[in-house]
Amino acid sequence: MNTGIVTNNLLFFLVGAWPAGPLGGLALTVLLGAGAGLLASALGLAWGIALAQCRGWLHLALHASSELLRAIPVLLLMFWCYFLLPIVFKVDIPGVLTVLLALALVSGAYLAHAVAAGIAAVPSGQREAALACGLTPRQALRFVLLPQALRTVWPSFVNQCVTLLKDTSLAYIVGVAEFTFVANQVNNREQVYPLEVFSFVALVYLLLCSGVQWLGKRLLAGRHAPKSG
Amino acid sequence: MTDWLVHPPRWLGNGWLTLRHVEAMLDGLLYTSLLSLAVIATGTLLGCALGIARHQARARWLAWPLAALHNGVRNVPLLVQVLFWYFGIGALLPESWMLWLNTPRVLLQLGDWALPWPSFELLAAWWALSLYATAFIAGDIRSGLNAVPPGQWEAARASGMRQWQVLRYVVLPQAWRTAWPPVLGSYLNTLKNTSLTMAIGVMELSYRARQIDAETLLTFQSFALASVLYVLLIVLVQRLLRPRQRAAWGAA
Repeated sequence: MNTGIVTNNLLFFLVGAWPAGPLGGLALTVLLGAGAGLLASALGLAWGIALAQCRGWLHLALHASSELLRAIPVLLLMFWCYFLLPIVFKVDIPGVLTVLLALALVSGAYLAHAVAAGIAAVPSGQREAALACGLTPRQALRFVLLPQALRTVWPSFVNQCVTLLKDTSLAYIVGVAEFTFVANQVNNREQVYPLEVFSFVALVYLLLCSGVQWLGKRLLAGRHAPKSG
Repeated sequence: MTDWLVHPPRWLGNGWLTLRHVEAMLDGLLYTSLLSLAVIATGTLLGCALGIARHQARARWLAWPLAALHNGVRNVPLLVQVLFWYFGIGALLPESWMLWLNTPRVLLQLGDWALPWPSFELLAAWWALSLYATAFIAGDIRSGLNAVPPGQWEAARASGMRQWQVLRYVVLPQAWRTAWPPVLGSYLNTLKNTSLTMAIGVMELSYRARQIDAETLLTFQSFALASVLYVLLIVLVQRLLRPRQRAAWGAA
């Protein structure tokens, strides 16, 4: 085992070419994951609520679009964003932003299904009782249905965040210099210790994803605490 | 009237894909399907084994390494695992083995048609994808096993069956029924995951799409065709393998 290849390139692994060039490496992976995660959560929540509330052709359109996004490999979707976004918005969009949007879109589609299912899983008596108490439908959703639904959906949120974090590695293929890209660069430059390089990278991702999972469990436990008293 | 067919709008590029390109794309689809099939077969076998082992293992010296292996594979990006096996396996295996793996030969000869030995990148892709699928299928199987009520074990044991018989004839059939929908989801993910192997040069559907895009500059056309083929494949597999729907899902 040659650990020198990791320690000698450690700074490059962590931040890429920064500060001489754009930020990259592990820092970019974390930023991409966090940014896309936030965006996906907001999108998934809105999409899921709309899916649960709308009827008719709007429901069909929302459902079909999320199914379509889920049926295409994420990689292909990244290429799509790479190609289509500049045409639609008529401006040059940096690769990082493309990846961010693609990841948020896919994860949002997955989360939308989970949120809609969570809302559907709340017993119908809850809504009826809330309306009977004089709450408007909007208030019933906000104060009665959503809090219960989100508790059921929380594990899906955490899992989706982990998936998203892992999927940031795909940015490597469209040339965004995140952690996997940087690792591959080091591997191509040195060409002698691929096992060491990729073991290190795998270990870092493992720690990162396990950390997110652990945090998710802790937060869920915190949410349940007042109820179980 | 049909001028746009001959000269598509500027953003679509200066033409359409030719038959040769479509054929190359279908070839990629075949590659994707066969690779997925091989991965699903291996992943199901190993996944069942790992799922059962994790469910049965009580001793800490066995349970702990199994859990570490399982979580390790699940929590590392597939692309990193593909690169790890592709670049790193040479450092793990003896040189003579690597030579043997890389030697081209005919695997199966049927008249004029010969099945060649798979290329090294295909082997690495198959192995990496199989391990990844194994981890997820094992999780599905384990949840299925956990969902079988303990009374089933006790009753079967009380009626004189051995431990393995209980597992084989009583618990596994029930667990499999619960596990099937998520396992199917893992299969569909496997199908989509094969696209990552383009990073090491496996000539599957995404690789072809990108190759044709580079050759013709018809980005929209090549990615649209690839996307449609992926969606068709996914829908087909979903239709073929989905569990029989209950009445609650409508009269379809």
